[in-house]
This record gives sequence, C-alpha cells and structure tokens, in this order.
Amino acid sequence: MARSAKKKKTTKLIALSSTNKAYEFKKPLQKRIKYQGEEVDIKLHEDPNGFSYIVWKNKKYMLDVIEKKQNRYTIMVNSVWHSFTVETPVSLKRKRFLEKQGDASSSVSIEAPMPGKIIDILVEENGEVKEGEPIIILEAMKMQNEITSHISGIVQSVSVKKNELVMKDDVLIEIRKG
Amino acid sequence: MKIKSLLIANRGEIAIRIIKTARKMGIRSYVIKTAKEPNAWYLEEADQIIDFSESYDDVIPEFLDIERIIQSAGKHKVDAIHPGYGFLAENPDFARRCEEEKITFIGPSHDAIYRMGHKTIAKELARENSVPLLDGSQGALSDAEEARKIANKIGYPVILKAAAGGGGRGMRVVEKEKDIERMFTLATNEAEKAFNNPDLFLERFVREPRHIEFQILGDQHGNIVHLGERECSIQRKHQKLLEESPSPALDSALRKKMGEAAIKIARSVNYYSAGTVEFLLDDDNSFSFMEMNTRIQVEHPVTEMVTGIDLIEQMILIAEGEKIPFTQKDIKLNGWAIEWRINAEDVQSGFSPSLGTIEKISWTENEHIRVDTGVRDGSVITPYYDSMIAKLIIHAETREKALQQSSMAIRKFWIKGPKTTLAFCRAVLQNRNFRKGKFNTSFLSKELKIHYQNEPDEALLAAFFATYDYAREMDENEEKPLHTENGKAITPWVLKKRLR
Repeated sequence: MARSAKKKKTTKLIALSSTNKAYEFKKPLQKRIKYQGEEVDIKLHEDPNGFSYIVWKNKKYMLDVIEKKQNRYTIMVNSVWHSFTVETPVSLKRKRFLEKQGDASSSVSIEAPMPGKIIDILVEENGEVKEGEPIIILEAMKMQNEITSHISGIVQSVSVKKNELVMKDDVLIEIRKG
Repeated sequence: MKIKSLLIANRGEIAIRIIKTARKMGIRSYVIKTAKEPNAWYLEEADQIIDFSESYDDVIPEFLDIERIIQSAGKHKVDAIHPGYGFLAENPDFARRCEEEKITFIGPSHDAIYRMGHKTIAKELARENSVPLLDGSQGALSDAEEARKIANKIGYPVILKAAAGGGGRGMRVVEKEKDIERMFTLATNEAEKAFNNPDLFLERFVREPRHIEFQILGDQHGNIVHLGERECSIQRKHQKLLEESPSPALDSALRKKMGEAAIKIARSVNYYSAGTVEFLLDDDNSFSFMEMNTRIQVEHPVTEMVTGIDLIEQMILIAEGEKIPFTQKDIKLNGWAIEWRINAEDVQSGFSPSLGTIEKISWTENEHIRVDTGVRDGSVITPYYDSMIAKLIIHAETREKALQQSSMAIRKFWIKGPKTTLAFCRAVLQNRNFRKGKFNTSFLSKELKIHYQNEPDEALLAAFFATYDYAREMDENEEKPLHTENGKAITPWVLKKRLR
C-alpha cells in the first residue's frame, strides 16, 4: 500500500464536544491560542504533588484525563468533565454525514444512568410505552430507582433480565418511536 | 469504669475520627480489617488490627456480623465498642449483646435504640409528650389499601416511610391517588431489603420544609442538654450534601423552643450518649418531629466547631458513667460552621457513583479549615461502601466569612482520579439564594438548575488539552507509549496493585 503517498498533511484539528460544539485548533498546536479576537498563552504545568494544571489568564485550572480511547477524550477541568472526539476536517465531514443518516432510523435506546442491579422490568416486547412512564427498576447504592422512558413508542427489544447487574450506559431497552 | 481499650466497629473517616480522640484520651484502639479494603488508611492509624480478611463470610458483611465482632472483642479483652455511624450503630441487638458480654457499648441503651428505631413507636412517644407531629397513620400500615384510605383523608401529597428506616431508603412521595399502590410496593421492597423490615407508615408530605436537627447529649444521671441545631436542608433524594450550624432560619427564641422539644423526646427514652433529633420546619416556623438518630452523625463536626465540644470524647466519658461537665447555660454557639461532603460521584450523570483509585488528593490548611477523611493518595473507593471521599469543614466568625473561606478551600481542594462533587459545591456557593440563607429541601430540584458550576473557558481549555494530547500522539505515530491500557495511562497505583 502506498500509504505515505496518500497521506495528506492535516492543517487543523477539531475537538467536537458531546453537545456538538466544535473547537478548532491550527496544526502544529501552539501554546498560544486565539480566543475572542485576542491571543492568550496556555501554560501546562505539573505541581510537586503530581497534579497537572493549565494557567489561563492568570488563573489555575486543574486538569485530569479521565478517559482516552483513540480519538475520544474525557477531560476534567476543575472537577467538571467534558467529552470530545478529536477530528480532522475529513473525519468531521464523514461523521456529520453518518449522523444525518442515523436520524432517519427512529429507534431509541434507554441506557442505564448508573451501575446497578435490575430489580424489575415493567414493560414487555411489543408493548406500548408513554413518555415519562417507568420501564425499569434499577437498584444502585441500595436505592431503588425508576428508569423512565423519554419517548413514547413500542418496545422493540429488552436487553436485560431481572437480577442482572448492569454497568453505566448499558443498553436496557430499545423503543421504536411512534 | 475507665475505658482503656476500644474496638471500632466501623471503617473510613469515622474510624480515624474515633481513633484521634481515643489517642488523646490514652485509650488503645482496635479496628477490623476486611478483605474488601485490606490497605485502607484507618488500619494504619489504629493501635491494633483484628483481621477479618482471611475467612470472610459472604453472607453477613464484616461490619454487620454481631457475633463475630462480640467474640473478637472478648478475645482481645477490649473494654468497649464504638459503632460509629451506619452498620450496627442503631441495632438494638448489638447494644444488648455488648451489655450481656460486659462490653461497654459507646452509645445509648438498647431500649432507647429500639424505641427510636421504630418510627411508629417514636411518633407515639412524641405524641405522649406533646411534641408536634405531622398528620398520618398511627402504627404500621397493613397494606396499600389502608395507605390509600388514610391518604385520601389527610390529602395529597403524602410520604411513605419505612418504619425501621433512615437515610432516605424505603421512602416515597405520593402525589396522586393512582400512584399509591406502585409507590407502596417500591417503598416496602426497599425497606425489606435495607432494614429487614417491610413495615411502612404514612404522613402528610410538607412540600418545601427545612430539615433541622438538634444535637443532644445526655448522661446516665438524667442530665440532657442540646448543642444547638444543624441545617441539613440541602439534600438530594434525602441524602444530605452539606450541613451548617447554626441554621440561617432560626433565631434564639425558636432555637430554645425546638431545643426543648428535642430534649423532651430524648428524655422520653431516658436517653444517654450523643443523639440527634430531626425536625421539619415549615415557612411559618411551625415544626414537627421526624425521628431521632441514636448515634453519632456524619455531620457532627459542624457542631463540634461552633461549640468547641469533642462529641466522641463526651460519648466515651458518658459511657464510663461520667456526668456531663456543663449545663445548658454554658453552651454557646460560636461563629458559623459548614460541612461540604465531597463524594466520589458524577454530578453530571445524576450523582452516580464514580469508583476507583484516588491517585492524588490535596487541600490547603489554615485555622478555618478542618478535613475529616478516610482516604489518601492511592486509596480506593470501592462499590462495597459509601462514596464519601472527605468532609471539608469550614469555621469562621460569620456565615458570610465561612462562605468566603469555603470558596477558597473548595477551589484548592484537588482530587485526581474519580469524578467528585466538588463542582456541585461550587455551584451551591454561587447561588444567590443559598448565599442569602433562603433555601429548603427543594433547593436542588427547584432552585439549582445546573448541579455543577463551570466557567465558559473551562470547556475551551478541555478541548485544547484533548487536541494537544491527540496531536502529540499523532506526531509520535507508530511509537506506542508503553504503559497504556485501553489508551489510558496506567498509574503507579494501579501497577502496584497488579504486582501484588
């Protein structure tokens, strides 16, 4: 494969947030970025205790990489986390295209908001659910929580069983809009 | 009888807290080592470790195993047992077994624990002593149908509560008649699981009350005093997130009235040791008795800061049979204290637990700051116990100054590893009504729209950092870093654990 021949120099990178906000940075990355018309220094530091922090406009911001998988990042800044995928202009275009196609299918999955144990399943496959209706009882940290549906529709599939342990973000139930 | 040694039937920060006072009093401390936390910090602080980690029984968790704890205490000839909070702290059988084996239980009598533990009996005692109560069922409900009948009579909303309950478990608010059966089932199942007792009772639900509790101290000679109140209205699903003492809602007249009611409740069971009487306080300053907690509370430090009294020390002295060395008149509330609970929870995902290793933890220290914690660098937040990392307690002359100090201390409290509630603390601090002292138990659901505070630049900085890191790896290309797993760098702590 003529890989090197195909390789084009990427001139910029885009961090796309989970709320679909794009942050564009020129390559190679400078420690000085343009922000609201002015150029501001970014200084990365590590303190003697082993914490990383950025100094930005004379203020310290503690930083931590919570998760990093290929181009997916979760970064904590002052104990608030932000998720991004880092994209090149080409990959961003492809991603946006795929998302448009995805919208056409109308099935929604309900995911576990926290790790826990399935205590009860209140719906059946092919059954009808209304928005706001409880569909699953999940026990976490000794509390029983009602998981409710955020859409109305028909239950397409139930992916969990009673007494099963689930992790956060595991798909519990898929609902077809309608 | 002087206590020379005590066994702490608990773990984490409260074990360390008790050890500190024991050390000050020249008492030898014993703790229990479990297989779930074999490297926990409290083990190193104690004088002696009793090892439960070898043959551990999955059926009864270590800190709930009454007979094993009693046996070990006997074998090591300890004089007393301090139960801390949670676990066996409010189990009357445990207190009774200690008594039978001639081990001093550092807490109230088993009879007081039993009667206050049964919320229906406790309410009856309040009624007999003309302490105000909310309308509701008398005694436990037999079924959902009875709940429906009573609810229809007193009007909705109502709240279902576990008779043996506490800590927000087995509790459900019912807004409409059609929900009562479903809520009854949820609450009774939860109660059965959590307290081994499915009994529920019902009372009128006050929509936006304040949660005010009074610290009580009684001795075995009939002296009972209160040490002022704690404001615990900032809660999420009945779990307290921060507490202050005093409360911005009380003046000295109301404090006196509620304090006297609290003492009446304590006196009704000849209470001795430290205890807490909880009230709901309505807008019009009317209050009603909720329950009494017959143990030391998580939030006891705020009371210690404003009264200058070491509550654990008093509990030990009272257990030895000493008289309380002060009267109600001697107790002065000095300044303002706030406790911020820093938990390993993901505030951005509905406060779900965020387990894992605390890679680093640090905070600044000054005369306003007290930190009670059971963790240090390398400690693990496990799924077996609660998610508390630390309690940050601030004490200053006024509430305003305490809030100022809180801002600074929270900003300088750094934790690397799990997600924490620190950003939540900042959000609360920035809220105008909180700063004014105007809030109640609906604060989180109604007032605080976003449960974490973040500045607009922070997202930009995070985006930059992610991009920077990605670009660096792109440049390094084929050279993969050595110590990574799923892309995440393995920290020395994780490596250390694996190598063991």
